[in-house]
Amino acid sequence: MHQLISSFEGLQGKVKGINYLNDGVVLVDTTPNSLFDVVNFITRELKGIFTVIIGVDAREIDGSFHNIYVFSLDELKKYVLVRVMLEGSDPKVPSITPLIKGADWSEREIRDLLGIKFINHPDPRKLIVPESWHDGVFPLRKEVSYKLRAHGPYEPYQPRRSEDVIALPYGPYHPLLHEPEYFELHVKGETVIDIEYRGFHVHRGIEKLGEARLTINQIPFVAERICGICGYVHSVCYCQVIEGAAGIEVPERALYIRSLILEIERIHSHLLWLGVACHVLGFDTGFMHAWRIREPVMHLAELLTGNRKTYGINLVGGVRRDLKEEHIDKVIKVLNEVKEGYTKFINYLTGVREVIKRLEGSGLLPRTEAISYGVVGPVARASALKRDVRVDHPYAAYKDVYFKVPVYNDCDNMARLMVRVEEVFESIDIIKQLLDKLPKGPILAENVEVAEYREGFSAVEAPRGEDVHYVMTGKYSRVYRWKVRAPSYSNIPALKVMLHECPLSDAPLTIASIDPCFSCTDRLIVVDVNTGKRFKVPMRALAKGWRP
Amino acid sequence: MRKRLQLIKEALSIGVVTRKYPFIPAEVPEGFRGLPQFDASKCIGCTACGNVCTPNAITFVDDTSLGIRRLEYYLGRCIFCGRCADVCPTSAITITKEFELASLNDRDLRLVIDIKLIKCQSCGRYFTTFRHLNTVAGKLQEGVVDLVNICPECRRKLALDSLIKLGGLK
Repeated sequence: MHQLISSFEGLQGKVKGINYLNDGVVLVDTTPNSLFDVVNFITRELKGIFTVIIGVDAREIDGSFHNIYVFSLDELKKYVLVRVMLEGSDPKVPSITPLIKGADWSEREIRDLLGIKFINHPDPRKLIVPESWHDGVFPLRKEVSYKLRAHGPYEPYQPRRSEDVIALPYGPYHPLLHEPEYFELHVKGETVIDIEYRGFHVHRGIEKLGEARLTINQIPFVAERICGICGYVHSVCYCQVIEGAAGIEVPERALYIRSLILEIERIHSHLLWLGVACHVLGFDTGFMHAWRIREPVMHLAELLTGNRKTYGINLVGGVRRDLKEEHIDKVIKVLNEVKEGYTKFINYLTGVREVIKRLEGSGLLPRTEAISYGVVGPVARASALKRDVRVDHPYAAYKDVYFKVPVYNDCDNMARLMVRVEEVFESIDIIKQLLDKLPKGPILAENVEVAEYREGFSAVEAPRGEDVHYVMTGKYSRVYRWKVRAPSYSNIPALKVMLHECPLSDAPLTIASIDPCFSCTDRLIVVDVNTGKRFKVPMRALAKGWRP
Repeated sequence: MRKRLQLIKEALSIGVVTRKYPFIPAEVPEGFRGLPQFDASKCIGCTACGNVCTPNAITFVDDTSLGIRRLEYYLGRCIFCGRCADVCPTSAITITKEFELASLNDRDLRLVIDIKLIKCQSCGRYFTTFRHLNTVAGKLQEGVVDLVNICPECRRKLALDSLIKLGGLK
């Protein structure tokens, strides 16, 4: 721990202060002028991987805006938060996007929502708010009401593309993933040169809602609705942040129950993805079987939590529903059946030659690019990056269980599939270990009291990767700032690399291979590079080898 | 090729797994969180459920012209978390296993409970419900029960007045 603090000594004069938020999170204060040096030091010397930038309108507290740059030091098992205070009247900070590609979205988001200027940022366009949004209205500033809708006249989205490409539109509804997103694939012939992404059509302003209207114990239920597939991770992550900030001791049994439900969620999410991947490949039999195997897992969740999906069992300080003794045998029985059916299914799936040929060697994401974009979860692990929050920054009951983190060096779609395939087996194993060791005792901490203006930060390994929450608590048991960074937020920008020089027919599969969750994060047009014509193409036609 | 044939064999041995819902009822396990049921005879109008309700499905309005406190429950907003049943002091809300709740009529999704308000004996302003006071009075010690009929603001004034009379404050 002290080793990390002493390593910052080389930056004397540039770092104003170092504090521990909790055991695994270090808060470093610096100035806008020294930001570059500190960021360079963390990424180069400490091998920190960029996670997100958190913008806080703290003018009510100290008259300034805070920008918090988060880096994950996987080897040292720490998070480093670099805080910069910006002038309240005219917030300006140098952009770090030229250093770290992954910072692009974060900086544009803060510019849209908080009005902080990023000097030398390469992309002046809007990211979160619609093109028609009024200039000078920044929704996350405290003076703006959460009910405000500042739409001006309609303005179309202006994609950036060179003259000699064909732009193929893809979306706004991804016909295979059924979620609103808009990709524009720039193609030369049948090869994808570049992509443009415009998302956030389903940006629901949940952060603002949490800050403006909800109390601390209501947010877990809203947090769970951020994502329709892996919502529980958000709920757990939020609760961990508050528990960390307020110093609440969570009963051991509650931590075990959280881990158990998180693993059940991972199994069902990966099986869902396997089904979708088969469907994208045109292998609908595989889709049917994957979802058949998934169904008992959903029923299991229903039995243990009271609902198939939105489990709603989390509160700050523990869980609401205890695990009944008579259910343990049932859980093990169902998991054994799922494992048996799943093993058979994987055997069939890997035996279908067409599936393997389509997956191997497509959608390449080299390790260096993966680091630069800061990708997370199975996408990182398929690019030879050993990152798993459960191991790197242990939370809940993961310190007490043993499991393998599957890492592949192939960097392609096949590797991403194999990572998820193996993780299901590991998850089943984890659940059995947890049930073996399940301690007895209370499940909810008493006296949950939260002091005002405390900061907390926590991460959870979602099925899609690292999910990050940050909270600054406010007065009257409310939150002052709540920041959520879902895993797809880090993975989608990396599609630019994965789709480069990739055949058009592999594009849908590659997009699906990161298991994108657009509601969490927040469309594909195909444009001909030679003529500038735009086509709207159904995904099914693309998958079958559509030609302009 | 052989594996693909095996898959057909496997599929045949498993058979059809799709259930013929809604012709065959879907079963939900014990502890499933479905429709919250309100027992109007037990409700005391303490507003605890309204305070914890995340989506504002339960709201309270005091109508002073009629002298009632109105609980309005709108199923369209409910997220079925069951927090209201957790916090209800009189168990007036229970969570049922009912989940087939769709309706073509919006009025089917609404529930209203009116509870009589009571006036402060000192200032004559409505301040809480009669049932709430009854429940609270039952839990209080002798001597303070008389003060139950007075609203919190008047009680504060009263306490101050009596202090002044005793000469504690000048």
